[in-house]
Amino acid sequence: MPGYDSKPIREEIERAAQGINSSRELEEFKIKYLGRKGVLAQLTASIPQLAPSERAAFGKEINALKEKIALLVAEKQGSFAGSVSVSSKTPVDVTMPGIAQPVGRIHVLTQLIEEICDIFVRMGFLVMEGPEVESEYNNFTGLNIPLEHPSREAFDTFYLKRAPQDKERFLLRSQTSPVQVRAMKAYKPPLAVVAPGRVYRPDAVDASHSFMFHQIEGFMVDRGITFADLKGTLELFAKTVFGKDISMRFRPHFFPFTEPSAEVDISCIICKGKGCSVCGRKGWLEILGSGMIHPQVFRNVGYDPSRYTGFAFGMGVERIAMLRYGINDIRLFFENDARFLKEF
Amino acid sequence: MKVTYNWLKDFVEIAISPSALSEKLTMAGIEVKAVVENSGDSVFEIEVTSNRPDWLSIAGLAREVSAITGKRLKRHPDASPVLAKSRQHTEYAIRIEDKTDCPVYTARIIEGVKVAPSPAWLKERLEMVGCRSVNNIVDITNYVLFEMGEPLHAFDADRLQGPCVAVRRARSAEKLVTIDGQERNLSPGVLVITDEKKPVALAGIMGGKDTEVTAATGTVLLEAAIFNPLIVRRGRQLLGIQSEASYRFERSIDWASVDAASLRASAMIIEIAGGKLVQAKRSGSLKRASRSIPLAVDKASRVLGTDITPRQARSMLSSLGFGVKAIGSKGLKVTPPSYRADVKEDVDLIEEIARISGYTKIPTTLPGFIVQEAAVGISDPVRSIKKILVSLGLDEVITHSIVNRGILDGLWRGEGEVLELENPLNKEQDVLRPTLVPSLLGCVAYNLRQKQESIAIFEIAKTYARSGARLSEEYALAIALCGEKKIWHSGGCIQDKPGLLHLKGVIESLFARLGITGYKLAWNEQESIALFQMGSAVLGTLRTLEPALLERFEIKNRGVFVAELAVTELLRHRRVSRRFIPLPRYPAMNRDVSVTVKDSVPAGTLKDAIVRHGGSLLEEAEIIDFYTGKQIENGFKNITFSCRYRSAERTLTEEEVNPVHRAVTEALVREFQARIR
Repeated sequence: MPGYDSKPIREEIERAAQGINSSRELEEFKIKYLGRKGVLAQLTASIPQLAPSERAAFGKEINALKEKIALLVAEKQGSFAGSVSVSSKTPVDVTMPGIAQPVGRIHVLTQLIEEICDIFVRMGFLVMEGPEVESEYNNFTGLNIPLEHPSREAFDTFYLKRAPQDKERFLLRSQTSPVQVRAMKAYKPPLAVVAPGRVYRPDAVDASHSFMFHQIEGFMVDRGITFADLKGTLELFAKTVFGKDISMRFRPHFFPFTEPSAEVDISCIICKGKGCSVCGRKGWLEILGSGMIHPQVFRNVGYDPSRYTGFAFGMGVERIAMLRYGINDIRLFFENDARFLKEF
Repeated sequence: MKVTYNWLKDFVEIAISPSALSEKLTMAGIEVKAVVENSGDSVFEIEVTSNRPDWLSIAGLAREVSAITGKRLKRHPDASPVLAKSRQHTEYAIRIEDKTDCPVYTARIIEGVKVAPSPAWLKERLEMVGCRSVNNIVDITNYVLFEMGEPLHAFDADRLQGPCVAVRRARSAEKLVTIDGQERNLSPGVLVITDEKKPVALAGIMGGKDTEVTAATGTVLLEAAIFNPLIVRRGRQLLGIQSEASYRFERSIDWASVDAASLRASAMIIEIAGGKLVQAKRSGSLKRASRSIPLAVDKASRVLGTDITPRQARSMLSSLGFGVKAIGSKGLKVTPPSYRADVKEDVDLIEEIARISGYTKIPTTLPGFIVQEAAVGISDPVRSIKKILVSLGLDEVITHSIVNRGILDGLWRGEGEVLELENPLNKEQDVLRPTLVPSLLGCVAYNLRQKQESIAIFEIAKTYARSGARLSEEYALAIALCGEKKIWHSGGCIQDKPGLLHLKGVIESLFARLGITGYKLAWNEQESIALFQMGSAVLGTLRTLEPALLERFEIKNRGVFVAELAVTELLRHRRVSRRFIPLPRYPAMNRDVSVTVKDSVPAGTLKDAIVRHGGSLLEEAEIIDFYTGKQIENGFKNITFSCRYRSAERTLTEEEVNPVHRAVTEALVREFQARIR
């Protein structure tokens, strides 16, 4: 076959390829040209019959055709990848497990923090964070908690070792309330902020105590903010988290940084207020502390207490998670057993 | 604190049941934790907040009950035992070293007492409120403490040398055996009562053994005083003891109750233990200036969000014992009673009004929406990083920020010093972690013990360190992979062991989603650690942990791969704004090249060469196959790249692509002695 012209066969191949509309046809096409007895195999088989001088050029032609076909097959295959080759009649053992894809989980505490913050963000609050290593001023004095006072007892605190160069003593914040002082010093009213984060108290660890836990602080300052607004805001929050059917009560309490102060209870979500072991037979569960921001806190941050009023509240995230999900041991949150994490 | 229903009834009329009273007290801010029936009486366990020391007595609670139930207080005429002539004619003196430590000290001398067990009713009442009966004299001082809130102390006067009592700071190396039999080492931080020679009591905290009232006592010196709350607090902290007395002194005492309590106790002693009052001594004045606070009643309405009339305010405050005078039509001038030192400004009065009218009566309203300029905080980007990692199949963990310094060995070579706690809970948790890696290893170890086979976890939390005077607190992201994973495919199931490249893949996906580009992963030979570098900045590290190190965490025969990244650095380099890149309009042409090269040739270098030679037509070069093993010579590997050529302007022809791809192939052969397969 002297002077073999590959053009006709090349054109034939391209035409054939264009007509392929299913993977079955593609398979036929592959067999026709690339199969053991296919067109290209026949051409290759004819090489020995050629004059030695022509063999190399002819071989090159065949290789070029092979490449061309492989390319066309690849392009076509791509166009019906996956779908067409599976027949609905192919039997499938549907009792085999589905092929699961790995799904990670956000930690239950993070989920709850995000959920709670989002409720307040919808009401116009901003999310802010403050440092965990704090000054005594921001954690205590600025919040109207005198350094030497029995009210400090409720806030046992970890201190950092003082280095010679330190101008003041640093501590691990025992509450998220220092964010109030920081935010109010940084911004002018009106201001509405939620501040989630880790807090620390030197409590020996047991099923209900942890030396590290999470709080969410919230506060709002403007002209004309009232205690009634505090009640309304927290009621909206509690009903969103615990359901519309709960009842709530605000009890007078004492916090140095609020006046009037209130502790907030919801009707027990287990016994619906009848009294059970979870609520200590009282029918009520304490969920947060709150109040109207003390004028002394305003003075400390340079706000005029005769112009502005505001409310503040703080809650323990672990406590709310334990109540809501029926978790009976606070240590579970920090052991991070994969089975625990996957439950939420 | 414990109080009983019947004891309260001595002071106020109560027409409601114990459980109804308990509810009312709770809703007025005196939280009743439990009510227990006990021999025909009900004992209330109450929680008194630190601002209300006046509630630490039956009389004080009775005043509150009267205000919240509207029932009258039962007035008792003040006890006034007659002063009789002494047989011994010993004059006792009181000396106070510093009036700021002890503004007032009173002493009453009762001669000829007969110390004996208390009568049954007295014993019973004390026992109900959790106080052990000692003898009639001591029991009476305790009874009056519970009833009136003023702590008293009775000395055996005959054992006081002098005869005198003095109040002063203890001297270094002085000692005192207290009534509980413990020897206490004193220091100038502690205030003591002394006689002529030596300390006889810890002021406001506890009496001394040597001068306690015993069966042999005939004359009693009854102390009633005011001690500075701070000195009592420091003293009991120094000595590590707390008593009913110190608890009350720390929270401050009603000055007006000092004499009344002393008289009441004296009268009870004379009645129950006999004897007569022969001397009444006092040092310091009991008079205090009264303070008044102006209150604009409409401010109460403005703060509470409900209408309060001047008349209502007046009647509620009066019911609590405040003196109230009208100023104009809307103003009040309010004088708090002596026992309300906590009331300092108008908001304190507003709280009283809210409390007495009831928080329940205050309506619920929603505040107006506050529109604020959104401050760019870190919580939103941190949240998005967590979401990306979870979508890659990792679980978020939360671990303790306080760790043991020892576990940092070999896991932290950062700059600066570790922050140490002054008062750690125990030696196992003594520093703030400068890295999250040890905590994640703890989690891995825990889960391996729980027979979890596949562990892929991350944490985003603060890390802490000090450099000079600067304390840094920065968010870090740590990731750990360990264990085996089952991977299903159409033909069955295979076990895959995650390795360093799996971890790299997680981070690459994270970076891609955050739009972080242009980083390099460099291998630090010396430390066997890979660094993610962005110019001169290090975004984080990636490493395979040494078995020896893992053994410290009790992880054996497992590979653990960890990465730690600086979150603020990631956020600095992330692409915040995005531009749409038009989708390709013209088809691409793919050409594969499969090369066999020496093991030492990094895949990345091959790829760099392909990109260099592929020119503008090369859109992407991707590794689609990799092989080392029996089919190939030892010390060599085979890598297949798929090169995608495309033009944004036209459909490429083979005539354009083939020469480029040939150049790429030839370059690989030339530069890396690659064999083309």
